Amino acid sequence: MGYDALVVGSGVAGMESALKLGDMGYKVLVIEEGPSIGGKMILLSKVFPTLDCASCISTPKMAATAHHPNVTVVTEAQLSRVARDGDGSFRVGLLKKPRFVNLSACTGCRQCEQACTVSVPDQFNGDMVARRAAYIPFPQAVPLKAVIDRAGTSPCTFGCPAGVKAHGYVSLIRSGLYEEAFNLVLEATPLAATLGRACYAPCEGECSRGSLEGPLPIRKLKRFVADAHYSHEERPPIDRPTPNGKRVAVVGSGPAGVTAAWQLAKRGYAVKIFEAAPVAGGAMRLSIPSYRLPAAAVEWDLANLSEIGVEIATGCRVDNLEQLKGDGFDAVLVSTGTTRSMKLGVPGEDTLAGISSALDFLRDTKLDKAPDLGGKAVAVIGGGNVAIDAARSARRLGASQVHLVCLEGRDEMPAYAWEVDEAAFEGVEVHNGWGVVSFTGKSAVATVQLKQCTSVFDADGRFNPTYDDAVRSELRCDAAIVAIGMGADISAFPALAADGARRLEAAAATFETKVPGVFAAGDAVMGPTTIARAAGHGAQAAYLIDRYLSGLELKGPVGPLPAVDKDQVLSRQRRYSRRDPLTASIPLEPSPSNFNETEAPISEDEARTAVSRCLDCGVCSECHQCLAACPADAIDLDMRAEEEELHVGTVIISTGYSLFPADAKPQYGYGEFPNVITAMQMDRLLAPTRPYNTVLRPSDGKVPERVAYVMCTGSRDQTVGNPLCSKFCCMYSLKQNQLVLGALPLADVTVHYIDIRAAGKGYDEFFEQAKAMGTTFLKGRVSGITETEAHNLVLRYEDIGNGGGAKEAEYDLVVLAVGVQPNAEAARLFAPGELTLDAYGYMAEVDEDTEPAATSIPGVFLAGSASGPKDIPESILHAGAAVVQAAAYLERRGALA
Amino acid sequence: MRDIREVIREEPLVRGRLLRLLAEGPLSVPELSQHAGLPAEEVMVWLMGMRRYGFVAETDQDGEGHYRYAAVRAP
Repeated sequence: MGYDALVVGSGVAGMESALKLGDMGYKVLVIEEGPSIGGKMILLSKVFPTLDCASCISTPKMAATAHHPNVTVVTEAQLSRVARDGDGSFRVGLLKKPRFVNLSACTGCRQCEQACTVSVPDQFNGDMVARRAAYIPFPQAVPLKAVIDRAGTSPCTFGCPAGVKAHGYVSLIRSGLYEEAFNLVLEATPLAATLGRACYAPCEGECSRGSLEGPLPIRKLKRFVADAHYSHEERPPIDRPTPNGKRVAVVGSGPAGVTAAWQLAKRGYAVKIFEAAPVAGGAMRLSIPSYRLPAAAVEWDLANLSEIGVEIATGCRVDNLEQLKGDGFDAVLVSTGTTRSMKLGVPGEDTLAGISSALDFLRDTKLDKAPDLGGKAVAVIGGGNVAIDAARSARRLGASQVHLVCLEGRDEMPAYAWEVDEAAFEGVEVHNGWGVVSFTGKSAVATVQLKQCTSVFDADGRFNPTYDDAVRSELRCDAAIVAIGMGADISAFPALAADGARRLEAAAATFETKVPGVFAAGDAVMGPTTIARAAGHGAQAAYLIDRYLSGLELKGPVGPLPAVDKDQVLSRQRRYSRRDPLTASIPLEPSPSNFNETEAPISEDEARTAVSRCLDCGVCSECHQCLAACPADAIDLDMRAEEEELHVGTVIISTGYSLFPADAKPQYGYGEFPNVITAMQMDRLLAPTRPYNTVLRPSDGKVPERVAYVMCTGSRDQTVGNPLCSKFCCMYSLKQNQLVLGALPLADVTVHYIDIRAAGKGYDEFFEQAKAMGTTFLKGRVSGITETEAHNLVLRYEDIGNGGGAKEAEYDLVVLAVGVQPNAEAARLFAPGELTLDAYGYMAEVDEDTEPAATSIPGVFLAGSASGPKDIPESILHAGAAVVQAAAYLERRGALA
Repeated sequence: MRDIREVIREEPLVRGRLLRLLAEGPLSVPELSQHAGLPAEEVMVWLMGMRRYGFVAETDQDGEGHYRYAAVRAP
């Protein structure tokens, strides 16, 4: 792709350059980093000295640039490099950032913006008012299209193996949209109530707020929305999609199976789940104790499947996959979980009564067939979460003693530390560092014989326990429960079994088994995992089965954006208020006697307080309200950055200047006192598209009566390393003085200045006009600003014109006339030192007098304030010089396009 | 003064509360601040955000240089 000229930056100088080159017949590419062209001028109220409306001048120029037949505009774009070829042309790397909105479809209706649930400061209004993560930059934006502000995937969402948009439902709760939050969970899995209780919440481990006071209770928030939904007697029905005429069989109703079935049903498939057990739900219903996950919660979630039309056949064991195909199923998913317990292989294990596997024990307990453990001593063998579940269940069944024996040291146990702690609180005695030698007893188990485990893992981190046979012990017990691992039951599907492993084999990328049309997913393939991970695997399987049955290539969906860096998130704010995390503890009993759910739900107030701590890490929360609201179907969250290489004949850099950060003069209180604002903010307050209804004090919305300007804030100031005069601050301040006096006729306006630099046609007259309108000018530096209780501002200043000396004056509003700084980022696009800078850090013109706009690189030119502070007329003039230089360069070496 | 990003982030949380107060009749920022028990400078930020998105609109001025705002849309 080639262009005669590349214009970098679309402020007034960039637009002027593009238009003039375009008029000359050159093909021009304008790239703009932001979502709209127009630069800073479009944000101004009026221009000096004519007091013409800035928008009225800018908007036609923006439209002309966007619609010029020879000019192509690309917004949301950056250059990655610029390299000069031997023939004098340039190779340019262009990175097009994703806008997440299809420009050709978006009508600019702002419905996405109205629906968006994330509020952030509006950079186009000086951060004085909120905008949304989905937004149109400003009313005159070109293109007048929405953009979605996405810094990446929020770490909580990125960390969810089930694919639940955790940030999204947090954001929806913040907006009071509980049902929408519930439905967002359902986009990923029907298991909202289940995951809200029994998920190990990897999201919370990733929460950026964890670096401050602690993470948000993201799992409990999911439970909150699930419980809110399920407690409604008249909840909205789940829509059944139009059937697509195809049938899928799902074998197994654990989290992978039901999530796959749910996703397939949403795509219009007729899905039937075959479950061997008498109840549906797999491990959720048959393994996880009710005190952690009540059966009712699982049943609520499973009811979603019935509602969408999924048929669930329980007590129906499948051992002939071909039969399913014969029954008319177009595809089969095997997701039978890990239902087979591993054995210790020690004497007595298979011969003595009273020894059971943890899976059998937990299953019997959930099906009200638990053994009578009243007053008995129970030994549980294993150090994982299943062992903990078995031990705590045994306590609830009346066991007087529960001994948990495991090879690992306390810190090595696979079980979560908090679960081990809770088990210990409930009276489970944990015996770390012991291996089982045998079980002894006459006909029933009476003891567990133990030997000391000296290490569990070898030097390579593999499970390879070693023992000291000389150190022995024994535990007396009336029952023993073995919980040392589990695997898939491969007996029903020998053709699908992985060689030498207790799992089913499926291709990692396609989930296909060796049998055509049969897929496998979940713990049966991965080994024992978590509900969330299995659910995510099931969702992926559904996606791939859909592609398989649609005749599409078997490849996964577009992956998420990279997770946002937490340091980047935390650096967005200068300070954080302390917000204590929710600390509701689980009311445990030392001798629990029932299987009542231990964790209490959080209240609405607690939920709202909790979500107020969310930092909106990714900015957009992926709550998907924009997707629902957009009438043009223009939102595309799967857009990703595109990089391409371009060939251009010449380059004009018109990247403008940066405003001095006013908080770098802390004595003026910017960012500390609400009524200290910058002149750019005042320009926004004076603009027709202003953030407030008129010029008001940010502290209380009062119409200010006394307004002060502090000139040369950050310019002509060695203390901040900027000795340069910014050239146009005096004039924009004079402009604002007059506009303020026009808008607020009763206001007093005072300017604290060093010099008034008003050189230029009509400029000095403009100064006189400001004086005539009533602006007071006080010569002398302002040394500092303090704030009164009423948020008024007391300026300490030198009053040179009235006899000198330090004085104080009180104002309602103070405007800092900030200077400008170089924006030399573009120099980094070239080889180090290739594009030279001047002594002040601006990109240098080789000779301002004889070769204006020319840089140290032949064919690269500067336009506007990229080479130093310039006001609007000067910028346009300078752009003219750059255009002439660029055109001459192109003519010398021949145009490209 | 809290960080502006932190304040703005909370607009959806406080919106309903402010709108319920404004449903009783137009209020200025200081009045709304007093009724809600929230800092006036933060109420100003939230109110202007709500104004931008059509939840409230200014009505008239009190005698002390403050505009009053009325709810014009449900939360």
